[in-house]
Amino acid sequence: MEQGSEVFRALADPTRRALLDNLFHRDGQTLSELCVEFPEMTRFGVMKHLAVLAEANLVNTARQGRTKRHYLNPVPIEQVANRWISKYAARFAAALVALDDQVATDQEKETLRRAVPG
Amino acid sequence: MSLPAHVYQVYIAATPEQVWAAITDSEWTRRYFHTTSFVEPPRRGKPYRTVGADGRPAIEGMIEEMQPPADGSPGRFVQTWHTLYDAALEHEPPSRVEWTIENAGDGLTRVRLVHGNLDQSPLTWENVRNGWVWILDSMKTLLETGNPLPRVRADEGVAEIVSS
Repeated sequence: MEQGSEVFRALADPTRRALLDNLFHRDGQTLSELCVEFPEMTRFGVMKHLAVLAEANLVNTARQGRTKRHYLNPVPIEQVANRWISKYAARFAAALVALDDQVATDQEKETLRRAVPG
Repeated sequence: MSLPAHVYQVYIAATPEQVWAAITDSEWTRRYFHTTSFVEPPRRGKPYRTVGADGRPAIEGMIEEMQPPADGSPGRFVQTWHTLYDAALEHEPPSRVEWTIENAGDGLTRVRLVHGNLDQSPLTWENVRNGWVWILDSMKTLLETGNPLPRVRADEGVAEIVSS
């Protein structure tokens, strides 16, 4: 399932984020291929992290004959972005505009201050 | 170089029949799929073409499988995919898009999309990589809320707010 909390929980772990990054650069890897990429982890450790990512619907698996491949599924991240972040991004953008105005005003004042000896 | 398939999946709070209609019925597609619709209702074994609201061709190909979801068996819609909306992409050979629509219990339908056969189509591979993510989220939003995602992407939306 892809309830928001599961996505956030899955993304909270740096190793799982590294696994997603790895699939982003080379999608469709087998467990063995991923284990080579993460030599500091046991095979069981990689499997456990992949299971959490699959539970959050961030990783899909597909079988090709006897080979099971892992694919990055960015759809839940897009959902988080569209439902959550954009809501606050509007405010964030407004805050940036306000900040920009403030900086401009401050710079004008500074220029004026320097122009007036005293 | 071998390019992997895109394998995307989304859970939608709708029936498999509603999701099937959203994928195969122009009344639905034009609301979330960049305004595109099928010129003729898609039929198994027949060629198809989709066009945008302005009439410009979008995609063409063959409908290879068209099996609506039924009690206990998943729906399958398989189409070859030749891009017409972009001159560079148009030169690449057709790839294949496979939809699988399955009851996931708890009032949810699992939609799996596999876009493969992209080995000779690196530009299409790159182009649809994010494109499908947005389409799938927009379809989910439409089916669940009655409204599609706004046409602007989230990142463009911020720019729009800033400039307004």
